[in-house]
Amino acid sequence: MTQITLSKRINELLVLAVLDSGPAHGYQIALSVEERTAGAFSFQHGTLYPILHRLEAEGRVRGEWHGRGRRRKTYEITEAGRAELTSGAAELERQFRALLGLLRGTHAA
Amino acid sequence: MRREHPLARVEREVKLAPHHRLDLVREVDADVRAMQAEMERRGYSPAEARREAIRRLVPAGEVVEQLEDRHAPGLGRWLRTDGRSLQADGRADRVTRLGVGGAAMLGGAVGIVATVRPGLSGTAMALSWALVIVFALLVANLARVAVQLWVRGDLRARQRRLFWARHAGLIVAAVALGAVGAAWEGYQVLTNTGQVDSSALLAWETAGTMAHFAATGLAAAIFGLFGWLSVSPRLIADQEIERRITEFFAQDRARLTLNISASSIHESKGEP
Repeated sequence: MTQITLSKRINELLVLAVLDSGPAHGYQIALSVEERTAGAFSFQHGTLYPILHRLEAEGRVRGEWHGRGRRRKTYEITEAGRAELTSGAAELERQFRALLGLLRGTHAA
Repeated sequence: MRREHPLARVEREVKLAPHHRLDLVREVDADVRAMQAEMERRGYSPAEARREAIRRLVPAGEVVEQLEDRHAPGLGRWLRTDGRSLQADGRADRVTRLGVGGAAMLGGAVGIVATVRPGLSGTAMALSWALVIVFALLVANLARVAVQLWVRGDLRARQRRLFWARHAGLIVAAVALGAVGAAWEGYQVLTNTGQVDSSALLAWETAGTMAHFAATGLAAAIFGLFGWLSVSPRLIADQEIERRITEFFAQDRARLTLNISASSIHESKGEP
């Protein structure tokens, strides 16, 4: 599996989590992430697009163009994306538990 | 002062194939408009709403590079492999330069085999070598176009014109060298009339050398022309998409001009 940084991984999971509730445009994903995390996470300077395009290329989300003239792109999660979200969330939970345990001095080696 | 579309700079700077640039510009523009409308609904002033939407959605800095990595052609992505590291140490550039150099050397070698023949006179030999160099340059030019299109993915109109001007010049040079070489061989024989009288065989050989020169020059020119023809479908497709990108920004400018005139009419009438 490709090595990606933790922040990239979190961003991917944030996008997948938003799309798990239904198809959305890019801007809706950005706003939803900000709202649902009470501003703890936000996408700035278009950081959302490389993530969306990577997920699309990997088949974890599906992008579709709609409308004529000024066309808009809608994204929806795929089955592979849902599986990734479940496994990714579990993995992240394990990592954060370990991290918090270490930070709070309660981690049992 | 004319206000520039916030995506115009991104479109200019991002090194992507035109169809990726068009998709990116369309996607981000639609999102910026929708987010601006959403922000206005939430109580932001139009100017603030637009600023916020642009700040969140318009790619800048490292994001542009990430998009380049994501949408680079397959070969280009493979050369970049681990993203920045390959780019940073310039290995990708070195590999493409080596490729172009290798193609030019191969072209030169083919040119030597086809053109340079033992027994040619000093001037004819110099013309032969010039033809070899022209052929190698034609191959190198085509290789550079191919690298831009299929490795880097981005060959802008200005560069395209430059490559074509160089290519056309080389094609003309090949034909000219072939013609001059042939004429020189003929001239040599004509100024040495004794040799022509002495042997019909020599005249026949001279005709052969003249034909060889002319044919080699013509062959190099045909190679150049067909080489360019082989990349033309991609160039034409790119040009068409670039026209649509220009149209996209022109429409935006026209709409902006209309908005400005409408608001100045309102202001002059004292309307809000």
